[in-house]
Amino acid sequence: MNNPYCPVKGKIIDIKEETSNIKTFRLNLDKNISFKTGQFIELTVPGIGEAPFTPSSNPKIEDTMDVTIMKVGRVTEILHGLKPGDEIAVRGPYGMGYPLKEFEGKEILIVGGGVGLAPLRSLILALLNDRKKYKKLVVKYGSRTPKDIVYKDLLREWANNKDMELEITVDAGDETWKGNVGLITTLIKRDMGVDVKNSVAIVCGPPIMMKFSTFKLIDIGYEPRHIYLSMEKNMSCGIGKCGHCRIGPYYACKDGPVFTYDKISGLHGIWE
Amino acid sequence: MKQKFLKKQDLKIFVEALAATYSVYYPKKNRQGNFHLVPFSEGVDGAALGGVRPFEPLKNFFFRCREKVVDGYEKSEKAPANSKRPYCVMGVKNCDLHGMRIQDFVFTEGDFKDPFYIKNREENLIIASDCTTAIPTCFCHALEVPHYPEKGYDILMSELSSGYLVEEGTDRGAKFLKRNDGIFNEAAEMHIEERDHIRRHAGEKVEANIAEHGIPRRTEFGDIIKVNLDSPIWETEVKACVECGSCNAVCPTCHCFYLSDSEENGNKEVRYKMWDACMYKRFAHVAGGANARPHLWMRLRNRFEKKFDFFPQVAGIYACTGCGRCYSGCPGKIDIRRVLKNLVAEKNGKKHE
Repeated sequence: MNNPYCPVKGKIIDIKEETSNIKTFRLNLDKNISFKTGQFIELTVPGIGEAPFTPSSNPKIEDTMDVTIMKVGRVTEILHGLKPGDEIAVRGPYGMGYPLKEFEGKEILIVGGGVGLAPLRSLILALLNDRKKYKKLVVKYGSRTPKDIVYKDLLREWANNKDMELEITVDAGDETWKGNVGLITTLIKRDMGVDVKNSVAIVCGPPIMMKFSTFKLIDIGYEPRHIYLSMEKNMSCGIGKCGHCRIGPYYACKDGPVFTYDKISGLHGIWE
Repeated sequence: MKQKFLKKQDLKIFVEALAATYSVYYPKKNRQGNFHLVPFSEGVDGAALGGVRPFEPLKNFFFRCREKVVDGYEKSEKAPANSKRPYCVMGVKNCDLHGMRIQDFVFTEGDFKDPFYIKNREENLIIASDCTTAIPTCFCHALEVPHYPEKGYDILMSELSSGYLVEEGTDRGAKFLKRNDGIFNEAAEMHIEERDHIRRHAGEKVEANIAEHGIPRRTEFGDIIKVNLDSPIWETEVKACVECGSCNAVCPTCHCFYLSDSEENGNKEVRYKMWDACMYKRFAHVAGGANARPHLWMRLRNRFEKKFDFFPQVAGIYACTGCGRCYSGCPGKIDIRRVLKNLVAEKNGKKHE
């Protein structure tokens, strides 16, 4: 019988520094793990521990996988000290991922905050793979300061991509910043050119950002069932057994981590 | 099959026969009057198949508190065969058999199965027994859990004054009984009558507990958790909690665990599956500092929510068997019976304790 607790060995083949505390690791695994965009993996530092991350790369690419990681805890601290060539291991993929089929024919609004753009990067790349299936692709990204913006090269590329609209804001600007200043919610507007009645909104970011973005989306007319939220709880086993990531009647690891707001709106602890 | 009778003085021969195949554990009463599971070594002096549930829940044997699940990534891809001798646990009470329904649901159902639990659960022999009495903390009937086993055992051995009434539950149990047929006598009508009498008597004691403490029954629960999410009951009840996690450890249905990686003799590819406790602050903590249940009262609520709301929703069963262990083991004496009573009273708009 397969052992669901055992990871597949792999190596870090490239590391890109995104900000002072965020790095994107390119992984090559001994066995290819193909994932659907929005699914997550458990990334192990051998002998130290594992933590859940949603890959940020295009799911079409099968021989490598990118994972963007902020240095915030015990495992990520050690991950940030690793070099190309170092060994890691991966379990997964787990969870439901984004239901791309349900997005077809719709105007897609993507709202990202901070390092929350990581799973959305994978989603945007997946949407661009089949761009014709979707009516419109609008991306709003908010970052604390210009220095905290991730994927700077890619965002520049997306800004010039006619297949999508991209708008970026920062909470606080600096002398180099000439763009929008203000919270991400200031970019979510009735007149932003999205037909909310034929649209889905996908939000990922820090809990507080998700909370107020959701409220703003509802305020401008989105129905709760058309708002997709990433619930990043303490997904430890990843397979619906260990009990840590429960939200009401769900486990974020197996029933999520992406939930529509109508499913979770009455439950406690969702914004923490 | 016909019911059999085993004389008290023949218990040793029976256990010796079990010990040829199994690693046998049976309950024994200690000086404080509590039952504990002890391994059979030579004698069976003090073996008490009747009485009430031992302090240790049955889950310990199958969902182990610390189990190595990875030892080298490549060679652990398939779960290793269980090299240990199978267990035979004797004197298992119905509250524990019910607890295993939750453990089985968690570890053997769904898209992913836990091969370690499944292996541990295979090949074992569960010898259940009737409760011959009740202690003040017993309230199984409130959860509609009878105080005598109905299913989920291989053999049923009901303790009588001069011996045991023996019945098969599964093929495995039947085969064992058949192989050792010489040890038993035919059961007589009076043995069955005696068991019925003991059952009635023990049942009355459980009912007396329920009446004395005003413990609500399952039919009165309704949405006790949903309507009480913001009730002051949680904060009041949790005041005495010292966050030791013993309620989690002794609960027959608590199944939460964490995975812990370590380095052993230079081998970095080692992973253990260890019991966790939802009463611990770090349980729902995520890197970066967010915690869905930062306050102790929220964790108490979570514990009840899991048992009285989550499992009824996802598995159609309450994850409480009325065994009373969480109260017995709690240094703060947080009484699950009182919490349930207060939750029901609050739901019905009545004053609570």
